[in-house]
Amino acid sequence: MKIDENITMHQQDMQKVSVRQKVVKILVQVALYAFLILMAIIVLFPFYWMINSSLKTLDEYRLSVPTFWPHVVMWENYVNAFNTANLGRLFFNTMYVGIVSTILSLVITVLSAFAFARLEFKGKNILFAGLLATMMIPGELFTITNYGTVSAWGWLDSYRVLIVPFLVSVFYIYLLRQNFLQIPNELYLAAKVDGTSDLKYLWKVMIPLALPTLISITILKMMGAWNSYVWPNLVTRKEKYRLITNGLRNAFTETTGDVNYPQQMAAVALVSIPLFLVFIFLRKYIMKGVSRSGIKG
Amino acid sequence: MVESKSSWKAWLYLSPALVLLLIFTVWPIINTVRMAFLENYSGLEAIGGRSFSIGIANFTKVISYKKFLDCLKTTVLLCVITVPVSSILALLIAVCLNSIKPLSRMLQTIFFLPYVTNSIAIGMVFAAMFNIIGNNIGSENEIITTAGIINNIIEFFGGHAVNWINAGSTYAANMTVMIIYIVWNALPFKILILLGGLQSINKQYYEAAKVDGTSRKRIFARITVPLLSPMIAYVVITGFIGGFKEYSSIVGVFGKTMGPAGADKRLNTMVGYIYDSLSLNRQGLASAAALILFAIILLVTLVNLYVSKKKVHY
Amino acid sequence: MEVTLQNLTKIFPSKNKKDPTEVVAVNDFTFTIPDGKLIGLLGPSGCGKSTTLYMLSGLQKPTSGRIFFGKDDVTELTPENRGVGLVFQNYALYPHMTVKQNILFPLQNLKGEDKLEKEEMLKRAYETAKLVQIDELMERKPSELSGGQQQRVAIARALVKMPRVLLLDEPLSNLDARLRLQTREEIKRIQRETKITTIFVTHDQEEAMSISDLIVVMKLGVIQQIDKPQAVYDNPVNLFVAKFLGTPPINVFNGKVLNNELYIGEEKVLKVENVADQEVIVGIRPEGFILDKNGPLSCNLSNVEVMGRDVSIVSTNPNSQNPIIRSIIDADNEIDHESEKVRFSLKPNKVFIFSKETEKRLF
Repeated sequence: MKIDENITMHQQDMQKVSVRQKVVKILVQVALYAFLILMAIIVLFPFYWMINSSLKTLDEYRLSVPTFWPHVVMWENYVNAFNTANLGRLFFNTMYVGIVSTILSLVITVLSAFAFARLEFKGKNILFAGLLATMMIPGELFTITNYGTVSAWGWLDSYRVLIVPFLVSVFYIYLLRQNFLQIPNELYLAAKVDGTSDLKYLWKVMIPLALPTLISITILKMMGAWNSYVWPNLVTRKEKYRLITNGLRNAFTETTGDVNYPQQMAAVALVSIPLFLVFIFLRKYIMKGVSRSGIKG
Repeated sequence: MVESKSSWKAWLYLSPALVLLLIFTVWPIINTVRMAFLENYSGLEAIGGRSFSIGIANFTKVISYKKFLDCLKTTVLLCVITVPVSSILALLIAVCLNSIKPLSRMLQTIFFLPYVTNSIAIGMVFAAMFNIIGNNIGSENEIITTAGIINNIIEFFGGHAVNWINAGSTYAANMTVMIIYIVWNALPFKILILLGGLQSINKQYYEAAKVDGTSRKRIFARITVPLLSPMIAYVVITGFIGGFKEYSSIVGVFGKTMGPAGADKRLNTMVGYIYDSLSLNRQGLASAAALILFAIILLVTLVNLYVSKKKVHY
Repeated sequence: MEVTLQNLTKIFPSKNKKDPTEVVAVNDFTFTIPDGKLIGLLGPSGCGKSTTLYMLSGLQKPTSGRIFFGKDDVTELTPENRGVGLVFQNYALYPHMTVKQNILFPLQNLKGEDKLEKEEMLKRAYETAKLVQIDELMERKPSELSGGQQQRVAIARALVKMPRVLLLDEPLSNLDARLRLQTREEIKRIQRETKITTIFVTHDQEEAMSISDLIVVMKLGVIQQIDKPQAVYDNPVNLFVAKFLGTPPINVFNGKVLNNELYIGEEKVLKVENVADQEVIVGIRPEGFILDKNGPLSCNLSNVEVMGRDVSIVSTNPNSQNPIIRSIIDADNEIDHESEKVRFSLKPNKVFIFSKETEKRLF
C-alpha cells in the first residue's frame, strides 16, 4: 500500500512539472513567433512600400501624413515608368544577353566539368587547383585589364562585350564537376561497353542526372545578367546596349529630394517583378544553387 | 579506370574554357601586377608611347591619398558592423525558424525574398523610405513636406525626424542607412546557409541533451553553435569578402555620386575608388588599389580561417 | 564463343613516386574457355580476377599478351567492338531511365549495318526482358525495383545486344542470402538457355562451385588451378586451393612422412605412396574423418553439434594449425559426449599432403 501512495505522490509531482513545462513551452513558442513575424515584417516592408508608393499619385505621395494604401490607384505610373526609362528596350537587351550567355556558358561548363570529372589527362589536378585558386581573387582586379582588352578590340557598345568576358565561371565548373563525380563510374564503363560515345553519354546520362545543378546554374546566370551593374555601366554608353539595372539607375539619377517617387517606384517594381516570378516558380533550384554557391549572380 | 588512347579529347573539351580564362582571368592577373608596379601607369599614355619606370610609387601614392583612405575607412566600417550584425541576426532567425513547425515554410520564403532582388532597384526603395521632401532641411527655416516613412515611424514613437540622406545629412546618418540596407540584403543568404546547417544536425544530439535535462540556453551554446560552427565560419568569411567589395548597394541608395547632395563620394568604397581611377585612365593606381584590396581580403580570410581552425568543430 | 587468353599480363605502374614497385595484377595467364560454358574466376580480393574481367571487356588494356574470341584477336578492340555484355557489381543502371529505356540503350548505340528498326529494338528488348522475367516491370525506374530485379535488368541490358561473351562482376554480392540462392539458379538457367559463353568473377567459393562449369582459382595474379568444381575440390593442387574451397574449411595439421607412413604428431595415421621422407602439411576435409574407437588419430573433444543429417564434432589437437578441428560424420554414429578423447580413422581420398616448403600437393 505504501508503495502505491508513493507512486501517486510521484505522479502528482510529475503532473505539476509537466504542466509547468507545457506553459514554458507555449511561452517560448509565442516569443519565437513574435520575433519571427516582426522580422518578417521588417524584411517585407520595403517591398510593400515600393508597391504602395508606386500606385499613388504624386500629390498623395507628398502628403505629410503617409497613407498605407493609395486613395486612387494609379496604374498609369507603370505605363509612364515603362516609357520614361525605356524599359522595353532594356528588358529585351537584358533577356538577350542573359539567354545567350547562359546557353554558351552552360555548354562550356558542361564540357569542362566532364573533362575534369571523367577524363584522364596529364596535369589535371594541378590545372583544377589553379582554376580554383582564381576564385579567391576579387573580380574588380580582372575588370581593370578586361576593360582595356575589350576597348582595344573595339568591343565597347556591343552585345558581345556584355556576354563573352563572363562566359566561364570556375565556380560553376567546380559545382558541376562535383555533381558529375557523384555519378558512379560504372555507368560510364557500362556505356563504354555498350559503345556509347563520350558526347552521347554526356548528353543521355550525365546531363539528365545533373539537371538540378544545371537549372540552378541557369537561374543564377540569368539573375546575374538581370542584376549586373558595374561592368555594363563601364562598357556601354549607347542606350541601344544598356542593361536593365544601368537603365534604371540612369533614368532616375536623383534619389533624394523632390523627385517623382511614384513613377520611380513603379519602375523599380517592374524591374523586380520578373525576379519575384522566377523566385516563386523556381524557389527550390535557387535556394539549392545559392546554398552551394555563396555568390550573388 | 578507363584507359583512353590519348588525352587530346580532354583538352578539346576544356579548350573553350581555357582560352577564355587565359584572356579574361590569367592575363588580367599578370597585367594588374605589371601595371601596379609601373609608376603612374596610364593606358592612354602608354598607347601614346610613354614609358614608365618600375617602382612602388603607385602603392605609396594610393595609401597617401586621403580619398583612398576615406574609401578604406568607409569599407572597413561597413564590414565590421554589418558582418557581425547580420550574422548574429541570421543565426537567431535561423534557430527560431528551425524550432517552429507551422508557418515555417512561408517564413523561410519571406526571409529569402531580399536575395532575389536587384541591389540598385531596392536601394532606390530604401532611398525613398529615408528621403525627406522639402527645403532647407536641417537649417532653422526648414520646410518639410514629407518626412519619409522611416521618419514618420520615428515621429509616431515620439522621436525627432532625422536627416538621413538629404543634402546636409551627417556621415553617421548616411552610414546608418547603408548599414540597415546592407544587413537587410545580407540576411537571406546567411539564413539559408545556417538553416541548412541546422537541419543537417542529427536530431539525436538534441534528444540526448533533452534526456540529460539540458537547458535551452545550454543546448544552444554547447550543441547548436559548436555543431553549426563550420557554417557560421563560412557565413562570416563570405560576409567579409562580400563586404570589402561593397559598391552597388551604395550606388542604389545614393546614386553614382556615392554620397548625399553636396557631399559627393562621401560614401565611396575601395571598389568605387578602383573604378574611379579606371575611368580617369589611371590604371596604375587602380591596379595598386585592386592588389591592396586583394591583400586585405586574403588577410581577413586567412585570419578567419585561423580563428575558425581553433574554434570550429568539424 | 571460345575465349582464349594467351600470356595475358597486366602491370599497374606505381602511383607513389617514392615507392616505385609495380603491381602485377595479372601474371601471364594462359587458358582457354570452351564455347557455351559458365566459368567462374575465383579468388580472394587482389587476386586479379576483376582486372582479368575488365581486360576481357576491353575497358582495360593488357600490358602484354593476347585475347581471342574464337579465332578473332580482340586485344586491340575497344569494348563496343568486341561484342561483350558486362554486368557490374552494383548493376550501374541509369537511374533516370525506365527499365525499358535501360534495356534499349545499348541497341540505340548500334551503328551502320547493325542499326535496328525501332520495332525490332522493342521486340528484342521485350524478348530479353521475358528471358530474365522482368517483362512486367518495363515502365518502372531502377529505384522502384528490388536488388534482385535490378540485377535481372542489368543482365537483360547486357544480353539484349546478343553479346558473344557475357561478363558478370560479382553478380551476387549485393544480394541478401535468400535472393542469392534464387539468382544463382537464375543465372545458370539464363546461361543454359542462351548458350552464351559466360565468365563471372567472385570471391565466394560456394557461389563459384554451385554454378560454374569450370572454376579458375587465382591468387595474387597467378592462376592456381583450372578444373571442374568437384575436381578442384577433390584434387586441389596446392594448400591455397585446398584451404580456399570448401565449407566448413579443410583442417590443416603439421605432420611428417617417414617410410611411406604419414605421421601427425607421434600417431601413424595413414599409409602413403611415393612421398619422400620429409616434414609436410596435412589437409583433411571435414568429411574425411571416421569415428573409430581404435582409430589412429586422437583428439581432445570440445563439443558436438548435431545438425540433423550430420553431426559436427569440434575437437582440438596440438598439431593442428587451426585452433579447432571440425569433422562431419553421419548422425547414425554413437558419440559419447562426456568422454574427453575422440579417435578417428581417415578416408584416404579426403587427405591431402602438401610440401612444407612449396605448399604443393605431394599426395
